[in-house]
Amino acid sequence: MVSQYGFKFAIHLITNHFGKIVAKVCETLFRKGPLSLGEIIRSTELTPEQVKNSLLVLVQHNCVQAYVPADQCTIAFPPLFSNFFMFAIEIILFSVNVVRGEDGSMATVEYLALFDNIIHRLRFPKFLEIAKHQLDDECEKVLDGLLRDGRLTLKQMVERAVQGKENPGAIEAVVRESFHKLLKAHYIERCPAPEPVVSTLIKAESAPRKRGSKMAKKFEAPETIEQRVLEAAVPGEAIRFAVTAYTLGNADREAKSDDSSMVNDGDNSGKFIVILCESLIYVTKFYCTHISSMILIFLHFFTWIQGGIANEGSILWRANFEEFIRHLRHKLLVENERKRLDDGAATILSAILDVTKTVEKKVKIEKSAPLSLDSIFTEVTKTEHGRTMTIDRVRASLVQLGCPQRNFDDSYSIDLKSIVEMARNEEVESIVLKRFGSDAYRIFRLLSKSNCFLETDKIAESALVDKKETPRLLYKLWKDNYLYMEKLVVTAAKQSRFMLWKVNKPLLWEYVLDEMYHAALNLSLRLAFEQEKDEDLLHVPADKLVPADKSSEANALQKRYRRLRDVLFLMGSSLMKLDDALMLFHDF
Amino acid sequence: MNKQKLERLASNSDNMNDAERIVYNVIHSKQNMGIWMADIKRETTLPKSMIKKSIKMLQTKGEIKEVVNIKNKSKKHYMAAGFEPADEITGGSWYSEGKLDQEYIFSLRQVCLNYVSRNVVANRDGILEFINQGGYFSGTTTQEIDQILGNLVLDDKIIEVKSTGYGDYEKFPVGRICYRCKSKGGVNNGEGKIGAMASIPCGVCPRINLCSPDSFISPQTCELYQKWLDF
Repeated sequence: MVSQYGFKFAIHLITNHFGKIVAKVCETLFRKGPLSLGEIIRSTELTPEQVKNSLLVLVQHNCVQAYVPADQCTIAFPPLFSNFFMFAIEIILFSVNVVRGEDGSMATVEYLALFDNIIHRLRFPKFLEIAKHQLDDECEKVLDGLLRDGRLTLKQMVERAVQGKENPGAIEAVVRESFHKLLKAHYIERCPAPEPVVSTLIKAESAPRKRGSKMAKKFEAPETIEQRVLEAAVPGEAIRFAVTAYTLGNADREAKSDDSSMVNDGDNSGKFIVILCESLIYVTKFYCTHISSMILIFLHFFTWIQGGIANEGSILWRANFEEFIRHLRHKLLVENERKRLDDGAATILSAILDVTKTVEKKVKIEKSAPLSLDSIFTEVTKTEHGRTMTIDRVRASLVQLGCPQRNFDDSYSIDLKSIVEMARNEEVESIVLKRFGSDAYRIFRLLSKSNCFLETDKIAESALVDKKETPRLLYKLWKDNYLYMEKLVVTAAKQSRFMLWKVNKPLLWEYVLDEMYHAALNLSLRLAFEQEKDEDLLHVPADKLVPADKSSEANALQKRYRRLRDVLFLMGSSLMKLDDALMLFHDF
Repeated sequence: MNKQKLERLASNSDNMNDAERIVYNVIHSKQNMGIWMADIKRETTLPKSMIKKSIKMLQTKGEIKEVVNIKNKSKKHYMAAGFEPADEITGGSWYSEGKLDQEYIFSLRQVCLNYVSRNVVANRDGILEFINQGGYFSGTTTQEIDQILGNLVLDDKIIEVKSTGYGDYEKFPVGRICYRCKSKGGVNNGEGKIGAMASIPCGVCPRINLCSPDSFISPQTCELYQKWLDF
């Protein structure tokens, strides 16, 4: 569930990047949930042309995903892969914008705004920095093109790079190499299926719970529509990061490549069987009786077969935000442990995360994948800082990292969730200290650490805060939603009333996240305001800002320019730092 | 004061009239918790003027005393002369005349913090021994030191750790609770890291809930931003 200011900030980003009309369509989708084209037109009161163009822009830039609700139709769009021919078919359907259901009724395509992908647009500079440092400058340039244009084929990437340049052959080779590096690192992926069929019904409990069962069922939040749509749209792991062996003019290169993520001849037949099985399961699951759907399935296979010949110009690629967020999460975990413990512990954690990241099914894993001590030691000694460590040192650091006991199979798992929680606690405590003062800070930390209800006097005693002052501070924290309060009335000889206080972390973190979105929006608005105020300075030639004469007018201009430069730098860097906190509370 | 003496005082009613005796007995029965005027009235059912007069006389005779109740300083609280007020009334050892002795607490905290910083790692017993060697803080109890150390942990100046028996911890048995400074710079250096939200004006603003681009309080007109950007 996204907060009020989360939506406002996302709309602000869309407005800045694509304009007000596109933002209006996006805002409508946020306010009203997934809608069909007709519903969007009615709600926004824009022309059909404006809405269609806006949706095309938003889909192109991965901010909106189209899908077909399964309960409306029985047509299968197996998410085999996205390519130009499927895209063209979807454009035709898009224009008509309906598919026929089993009973002949019109089942419409709906559009879902993707909040996370919109907010990721703020962190494109960070993604580019990762590509530059982990890979090289050329990879950064290829990634930059993908981020700017949303989705591109390999052919388009090459055309973009060679445009207006001499020696296009050499540039093309560099682009292809960079592409493969990015693909191997999973920083780019195939675009998702254009309109997957998704069930929108909430699943009922499959089996009745046994009466008197001692095993309490762990509560799991039901999957949201967004999660289901994305899961249905994302290509299977076998093809998500795969390039076929028959790219135009580069069969030799592909065959010789030692890139393990690429499909070579030997893997092709295996992958064909996987895709065939996936499709058969999908088709039988969504039993289709219409010729139109059969044609579409034929076309899927047809395009897969011919895709190897021309896929370079047909397979669309985009940046894989998930991998970048995973990288940033690992970075935060390692740096936090470095500050809390030492460089040794950070090196060990970094080695564990590097070796286990390929088996991570999602970003927000609670524990690292189990590894034996020998495996951990082997990985650690491969690193520059870990080369001199002994196995006892590694074992001692694992204890410090909160992993004192091995699992039943003698493996070690690090509790990553607790490291994230500690970081969140520190961020919130920092706000409390700055906003409410040191006494309130002590009170808040006492309640946060105890994680239970405490009575007012007990709080005053433990935090060594004046007993008269304590209720006032508690009330202030409660009024600003940092504390949860309950009243207890005890009737004995005399009726007594007690106030009990607690930090409700899940609720508090949601509230703090909303405040952070609000702050990010304010920062962006103020940044724009400052730029607008001194807009004339941005157009002044550089030589006029460092004039030969030292007249007061020239000095004033220089002073204004220096101020603007410092202001923009301060606000820009503050926004990036705040974005780290947004990821901490939302993505990690 | 011993039990027999207290009992003697309780029965020593030769110099009291009937009303004074009744009031005194009620006050004495509350021992070190004391009682205030309204409760005396409720328990004795005497008229208010008679109670006031009796209290005045008993105070003059030295039989009762007035004490400050930390929970309600405005209400007059009375106690038999032989009793010392309980911690619930005074607030405890950190309170003096109904007020938290901030200066005393701050000084004791600094002494403990300096000791931990100098020794890198310290435990409670070592700190207590150092403080009680003599001087202003001698007589500090174990409970009081625990409270001070707990306070320093809450202020994030020191962290509580368990001894591993190795390195800095070799003086302490494995598993013993110890304390070390939070920042590597020790007491004076290494101020706590300020969070991302706390380092911008919105993070400290008490009016953020009222702030929006179209309202009176907006990012464009914000005074906190103005100060922050005033290079």
